[in-house]
Amino acid sequence: MKKLSELTDFYYKSLQNPLQSLEKEREQLRHRVLVVGIIYSLFSLVLYFFLFSYSFSDLTIMFLFGYFALGSILYKFLITDYTKEFKEKIIRPLITEISPGLRYFPQKHISQKKFRDSKIFTSKVDRFHGNDFVDGQIDSIALSFSDIHAEQKHKNSKGKESWSTIFQGLFIVADFHKHFKGTTVVLPDIAQNTFGYLIGGWLQSKNISRDELITMDHPEFEKEFVVYGSDQIEARYILSHSLMEKLLNFKKRSKHPIFISFTKDSIHLAVEYNKDLFEPSIFRSLLNYKIAMEYVQTLHLCIGIIDELDLNQKLWTKR
Amino acid sequence: MSTETIILALLVLAVIIMYNSLISKKNQVDNIFASVDTQLKKRYDLIPNLVATVSKYMEHEKTLLTEVTRLRSEANNPNLSDTHKINLDKKVSSALGSIMVAVENYPDLKANENVMQLQGTLHELEEQISAARRAYNQAVTDYNNAIEMFPTNFMAKAMNYRAKQVFEISHNERQNVNVKELFNS
Repeated sequence: MKKLSELTDFYYKSLQNPLQSLEKEREQLRHRVLVVGIIYSLFSLVLYFFLFSYSFSDLTIMFLFGYFALGSILYKFLITDYTKEFKEKIIRPLITEISPGLRYFPQKHISQKKFRDSKIFTSKVDRFHGNDFVDGQIDSIALSFSDIHAEQKHKNSKGKESWSTIFQGLFIVADFHKHFKGTTVVLPDIAQNTFGYLIGGWLQSKNISRDELITMDHPEFEKEFVVYGSDQIEARYILSHSLMEKLLNFKKRSKHPIFISFTKDSIHLAVEYNKDLFEPSIFRSLLNYKIAMEYVQTLHLCIGIIDELDLNQKLWTKR
Repeated sequence: MSTETIILALLVLAVIIMYNSLISKKNQVDNIFASVDTQLKKRYDLIPNLVATVSKYMEHEKTLLTEVTRLRSEANNPNLSDTHKINLDKKVSSALGSIMVAVENYPDLKANENVMQLQGTLHELEEQISAARRAYNQAVTDYNNAIEMFPTNFMAKAMNYRAKQVFEISHNERQNVNVKELFNS
């Protein structure tokens, strides 16, 4: 596994040519986006005054909504080619550099069935999409991940529709190195952090959408996470002390809330970023260190979990 | 309904809840101990095979092997108390650990396919036993807390419930065995 610093080097050195040409394109594109944006806004303003002549009403809100919706479609249309090129010239080489055994499909994503079967999120998913699907094997361990956005539809008493996000971020699935039959779910500990040990703990034990609450014998882990499982012993067989420490480190490194489940001989990790990842930015330079590190670090984090969690150290019986 | 009736009803309800929660905690301990016991039995079943394989090579560790065999026959006694089983497990773990360390001194033995297989199975079993022990300890902690804390302690006294012993988790277990080292050594 390549180190983060090696990858940063690769980004700035080996990818220099495509970066330079993309950077030129980006500047032209930014100019185009701005011009189109201004024309579109002026046109909308004129149209608004023409239609509603200075009176504010419910229609104003409708009009604004339409303005933003059409605007974002227009923006997406404008940047399509650039996004495609960016993914082919930057993201794909980066993935191959980290591990040549991985395949990259910019348009695909982890299936909704896999997402549901992970049992991490119990809400009903009404809209599911994603992109940047990576899959393959590292040290004969299967690994796949992609960007995921899962949403739920709500209807209020007036029948008005609205959407809320269940999860947006990275969804990673990998083979797990131990055999098990049931399901163990590890979630961020919100109840105990909000309501304290006693009341929070009581609330957790009353969570009907989950299996039995499992108290782990690792204070720091117990503070960060809450564990539910179908089997008290199996959950501890999976979550050994060393794995708990590794998961804590992973959480610290990712700097985002993580949700984990162990089911069907696989580990599922959902890292909540609340945004679409691996997308090019039009208004900031690709050579910007912070932007570059975001791509490099995120990929390194996903592909690195096999090493980081020692998933390649198979037990005797699984060899 | 008079105030006295309401208070009485609430008191009865509280007693029922305390009683049931104590029973369920005790059952949880018993259930998990049954699983620990099953895992421990699996390990005891491995001992004759292990002793038969290594005794041909091991000259200086005869006493260790006799000790393990003796512990196994002691564990097979059906009338053992839980506390006794816990203490036996500690002794067996340490004896088996010593045998595995001793294996390192015999290159022929280390390369023996059968021994490697046994080592693998034993290691897997140790992990499962460790998980079962930790689950048992948590169940016992919950149970012990309930019988010592107010107000369930009065109820527990009336029901003649006593604090139970936990497994000692060795430092090694907390550290966790590095599988790679085990197999590459």
